[in-house]
Amino acid sequence: MDPLDMERLTAAGIDVADALARFMNNESLLLRFLTRFPEDRNYAELVRALGDGDAERAFTAAHTLKGVAGNLALRGLYQTVSELVERLRASDMEGARLLLGELESRYEQVTRALAGMR
Amino acid sequence: MSQVERETLLIVDDDAINRAILANIFESEYRILEAEDGLSGLQAVRENADSLSAVLLDIVMPRLNGLEALRELRGEGLTARIPVFLITADLTGAWMKEAYDLGVMDVIFKPVVPYIVRRRVNSVVELFRARRRLGAEVERQRDQLLLQAQQLAEMSTGMVEALSTAIEFRSDESGEHVRRIHDVTCHLLRATPLGEGLSESEIVLIGVGAITHDVGKISIPDAVLNKRGRLTPEEYELMKTHTVKGAELLSKIPQMRELPAYRYAYDIALHHHERWDGRGYPDGLVGDETPVWTQVVALADVYDALVSRRCYKEAYPAKEAMNMILEGQCGAFNPRLLECFQKAEPVLRRFYQ
Repeated sequence: MDPLDMERLTAAGIDVADALARFMNNESLLLRFLTRFPEDRNYAELVRALGDGDAERAFTAAHTLKGVAGNLALRGLYQTVSELVERLRASDMEGARLLLGELESRYEQVTRALAGMR
Repeated sequence: MSQVERETLLIVDDDAINRAILANIFESEYRILEAEDGLSGLQAVRENADSLSAVLLDIVMPRLNGLEALRELRGEGLTARIPVFLITADLTGAWMKEAYDLGVMDVIFKPVVPYIVRRRVNSVVELFRARRRLGAEVERQRDQLLLQAQQLAEMSTGMVEALSTAIEFRSDESGEHVRRIHDVTCHLLRATPLGEGLSESEIVLIGVGAITHDVGKISIPDAVLNKRGRLTPEEYELMKTHTVKGAELLSKIPQMRELPAYRYAYDIALHHHERWDGRGYPDGLVGDETPVWTQVVALADVYDALVSRRCYKEAYPAKEAMNMILEGQCGAFNPRLLECFQKAEPVLRRFYQ
């Protein structure tokens, strides 16, 4: 991987080494899923469901997003989504909504870093 | 048992990244199958039950979730044959006890750590392989033992027959007598109502007993055994002892006593010269006091003696031999026995052609 890209991804809260280990150092396989991450619809679905107050849809989307973030080692995003999942599991919709701002900034951070890759 | 090596791994997960990560871990060792939800996962297990090494099963999935799929697999007895691993991001395991109760081999947490997943899955797959190999090996050994037992039984009978024939050779140049008595006895027991109540294996044992009926003749001197012409009363008394001597001989060979055929052989050796009217020897048994199978051997013995050439006589034609027996010229027999014998005689005659 390009050292500059590596630096950019790391700065965006992505643990590249951990992700590479999970893909058994198959870099092209990891990059394929990383670059496709912005197409993943779960983030948008989660935001919409939280807006609609639909706890079940929100939980499903959050749960899936957590899995993806964990697999790709999107550390910052993973932390926020995990907390969100727990609040939704406890039926704390208000508490979940409070995390929306943090969620958005971490998501943007990741997608910006990915968009800037060579 | 199927000998197909199970080299397929099924990954059931709705998340494409998870499937790719798991496939990437195992594709060098297994053929990978993938399913995107519980229902198609369940179907894939059913279709590939004979070639699956393991199933990696996600829990939260559309259509049918992992636990529901697991319950189905358990119900069909598949979890006992194929190791199932649950893959989950859910650390609060309220469902975990149920999962283990349903026969899950292990639970693996997401995001997965490849070297751990690989080690855990491969250990269990190897365990199941070893178990199958062991099962097949036990089965193979059991077959082998059965075969050896059968060979041993055949050899025992063969030895008994060889010894009896060797003894018989002294008075009968051909040595065929014992074989024919065996055949006639077994035919009468198998093909006529005389064998009612006897199983095939009992008839086989009685056949062995028929072979040894005259072993007591080993104690009779050549001069008496092969005398041309009539025996003196003393010689006849000596000749008669071959029954008691035969039974005694059999009872003194420990290996013989352990054979299942012994109880038949002993009685046949001792009582094959008893008569229906009680005028036989050595015990003067009357009627069915002599077991019917010993009566059958006695009749076979007389019939064979008549239709064979002996040192003191020529062979009688079969028809004449049968008539002599039916008319009571050669001893007294059970009327039912004679009736069955008469019906079977045309077949018995063929043993001598």
